[in-house]
Amino acid sequence: MIDALLQVDDLRVTFSVGGREVRAVDGVSFTVDPGRTLAIIGESGSGKTVCCRAIMGLLPTGTAIGGSARLRGAELLGLSDAELRKYRGSDMAMVFQDPARSLNPTMRAGLQITEAIRTHRKVTKREAETQAIELLRLVRIPAAERRFHEYPHQLSGGMRQRVMIAIALACRPKLLIADEATTALDVTTQAQIMELLLELQEQLDMALILISHDLGLAASYADEVLVMYAGKIVEQAPAARLFGSEGAVRMRYTRALLDAIPHLERPAHAELPVVGGRPPDPTALPPGCSFAPRCASAADDCVAKAPALLEHAPGHRWACWHPCENGVAS
Amino acid sequence: MAAPLPDITLATPVPPPLPSLINARRLRSQRLGRALRLWVPVGVLILMLAMCFLLPLVVTLPSATAGNILYNNEPPFSPGHWLGTNVQGVDIFSQLVYGGQVAFEIGVAVTLIGIAIGGTLGVIAGYGSGWVDAVISRVLDILIAFPALVLALVIAEGLGPSEFHVILALSAFGIPAVGRITRGTTLTIRGLPYITAAELSGTRRWRITVRHILPNIVPALVTFLLLGIGVVIILEGALDFLGYGIQSPEPSWGNMIANGQQVLTAQPEYVLIPSLALLITVASLNMLGDALRERWGTQ
Amino acid sequence: MALVQQIQLQSGGSGVRGASARRIAGSPALRVVGRRLLSAIPVLIGVTLLTFAVMSVLPNDTAQAVLGLNASPAAVAALNRTLGLDQPFWERYWHWLVNVLHGNLGTSIQGQSVNHELAIHVPTTLLLLLYALVVSVLLAIIVATVAARRPNGILDRLSLVVSMLGLSTAPYVFAFLLIIVFAVKLAWFPVLSGPVTGPVSFFKNLTLPACAIGFGLFAIYTRLLRADLVEQMQREDYIVTAKAKGVPPWRVLIKHALRNSMFTLITVVGLNLGGLVGAAAIIETIFQVQGIGNDLLTGISNRDAPLVEGITLVFALVTVLGNLLADLAYAVLDPRIRYGSSTS
Repeated sequence: MIDALLQVDDLRVTFSVGGREVRAVDGVSFTVDPGRTLAIIGESGSGKTVCCRAIMGLLPTGTAIGGSARLRGAELLGLSDAELRKYRGSDMAMVFQDPARSLNPTMRAGLQITEAIRTHRKVTKREAETQAIELLRLVRIPAAERRFHEYPHQLSGGMRQRVMIAIALACRPKLLIADEATTALDVTTQAQIMELLLELQEQLDMALILISHDLGLAASYADEVLVMYAGKIVEQAPAARLFGSEGAVRMRYTRALLDAIPHLERPAHAELPVVGGRPPDPTALPPGCSFAPRCASAADDCVAKAPALLEHAPGHRWACWHPCENGVAS
Repeated sequence: MAAPLPDITLATPVPPPLPSLINARRLRSQRLGRALRLWVPVGVLILMLAMCFLLPLVVTLPSATAGNILYNNEPPFSPGHWLGTNVQGVDIFSQLVYGGQVAFEIGVAVTLIGIAIGGTLGVIAGYGSGWVDAVISRVLDILIAFPALVLALVIAEGLGPSEFHVILALSAFGIPAVGRITRGTTLTIRGLPYITAAELSGTRRWRITVRHILPNIVPALVTFLLLGIGVVIILEGALDFLGYGIQSPEPSWGNMIANGQQVLTAQPEYVLIPSLALLITVASLNMLGDALRERWGTQ
Repeated sequence: MALVQQIQLQSGGSGVRGASARRIAGSPALRVVGRRLLSAIPVLIGVTLLTFAVMSVLPNDTAQAVLGLNASPAAVAALNRTLGLDQPFWERYWHWLVNVLHGNLGTSIQGQSVNHELAIHVPTTLLLLLYALVVSVLLAIIVATVAARRPNGILDRLSLVVSMLGLSTAPYVFAFLLIIVFAVKLAWFPVLSGPVTGPVSFFKNLTLPACAIGFGLFAIYTRLLRADLVEQMQREDYIVTAKAKGVPPWRVLIKHALRNSMFTLITVVGLNLGGLVGAAAIIETIFQVQGIGNDLLTGISNRDAPLVEGITLVFALVTVLGNLLADLAYAVLDPRIRYGSSTS
């Protein structure tokens, strides 16, 4: 058995907003093996971002966090910020969604990379600069020496995201979390950045967590997929199994997401089966299955009691009282 | 002039980060703090206003302009003179009360004029077409660059000092200050998509102004009003202090301080008492402005 | 960044600055400066015209005042002619303007050249204002940064109280407080300011007046900077990136947040420069600092039109310069405007 790189057990994150409790992440457990790619899929508000930020320690001070997250056996939750900083940016790194806002507009791109290097390694400015330019080349930015001295606004969206990746890779982390890293980019650039991430993953032997709302992304690039809804994992399976021709999707929500993706094979002018309703109000979660209000096949037991996430089939867990059969919503 | 006009964007209340643990006690103390920050200044201001405007109607106060030289330099808490008397025997408390009336009257008057004229100009400049904006902006720039001090002094010199003239002079300062800020806010709002949408749907401009722009300016203006009154009161005090505003024997906090200057070392209370009144009033206005901004969100 | 935009808009520039700034390519700093200077000219003319008009409002008895009450009407008329006071308003203004463009600010009724008066007194006021500005800005940066480190913590609350006091205290009131405590009770400084001849006399004479002016400034700057810093630390994405890199919190605050807040600060400093000279006038009177503020007050009470007009011109120039500085802060320091967007 390979030792898991990241092991998350029963992670819980609770905010208090206006006196009311918000369970942003409600008992999430998963494992990431070294060098593998995990995709966490969910709508906004599903808790996918909060989950990873909790692991990185990037949530506002004092947010109530419970459970366990172990990176190579070392427990991360409960560490002081000073201790956590040793891991942040060096062993685990994160790439964010909007590179226009995620880079300091008044600081040259190259210096933002050297900052990442020099925070964790004792190197001279010159050495850091050399390493940074190497990193810029690594992420396929042409004319790296010139770009080093440029400001973020002088770079295109795709290039900015590459700089973000360079920053994240500065200390060769073993775990890279890409939080909607391609959402803000146009489709062509999206593909380029994803390809880059995968190549780098192989080159540097990194584990990758892809956070997205895009199932297609998960299908194309992930080894394993986690679907989250209202703070809980509702389905988890290897990507091959989930998206394979057998169509083993069980949980209704995942099914609905898949169905909502437009296909070329569909008859023209057919209405797209979108998921009706809206994500639940996190301060007023229903007692039963959180997806029940929007589920076409919700039954009484769905509303009454929340289904547990159980491994019903090898490697495949889901939380649903009435899962789909044969990949078809019945 | 005295303190440069605080910009409304000098907002201090930034909503604190997500209050962490669901701690009922902490939440309650936060709510309490916020309520106190609003109601304590309100209370203080009401007290000051009551003292200055209502008290004289109820209680007969000794004269604020003339005094009995035989009873000069009485210390505070002397019989018949709550805060004592000054060098000429004039009752200090009366001076404080009537001086306070003047301060509030001028403060409110100037600020209201500023908002009426400056606000209108600012909205027109912000929303109007290019050259209208350019012209009004230049005019406002000129008024701002012009030392209102000079104007006030000259008016006082030429037309004689009086409350009315002080109001005139300070308005020259208040109008461009309000104008600038209103113009800025209007420009920001005007850039918002829903204004464009309204324009595209054919709504007449003046209607957009009234319906959309004005309501959004009002919160900013109200907080500005409070800060502005404070600043104007300080400026008015400065003018009186220099001898160009309300002049002795007419009471005002400014000339109380000026007169107290001469005996600063021997009897500092002649300067300290009106200074304290000034401080409390302006601080309350500022704190109230802050508290309101906290409630309504920063502009 | 909304704060930043609002300040931008309030600098009273022409039209929508954001758009014009973006269109700037090539030498943006020069173009902004050029624009500003161009729009400054009508302002300067307007201010001086206004001053002239205001001074004309005064009863025209300057000559009488100079010669005394017993002077004969003929003597008064003669003096009026010499001083050029009998000419119509527009002619006088035109002559004055022409002279100014030649660098000659005229003669005060006391007989000295206005240029000379200004030359003596402007440096003193300049020193005083610089002293007040530098100290208040430095202190504000330090206090605001420490306060923003832990928002709503003890030091933060303390800073809020102190800055509220500074905002609410009239400078002339604070001046007296300073005098009572430091000049009288402790005798560290003289009550009245003497001439500044060297570094020692500089500190001895100008510290109290600078503090009187500076306290209010410190309060404003601290509040502004603190609010901006806290807002950045809480809401800006690049702060999260910096934290994600593992950068220690102090460094995040200073190297990232403070760096971006400096623009706002510089802008506010520039915009307030004009009002500063006015504030200085009162303080100069209290401490008897021989600066142009003091001169202005004496000039007005003497009905010394040329002197007042000359000093007002200086005031207006300072205001214009201040606005220019505020705009330049963006054009030169903000890399987004300085470098524009390159194609890639």
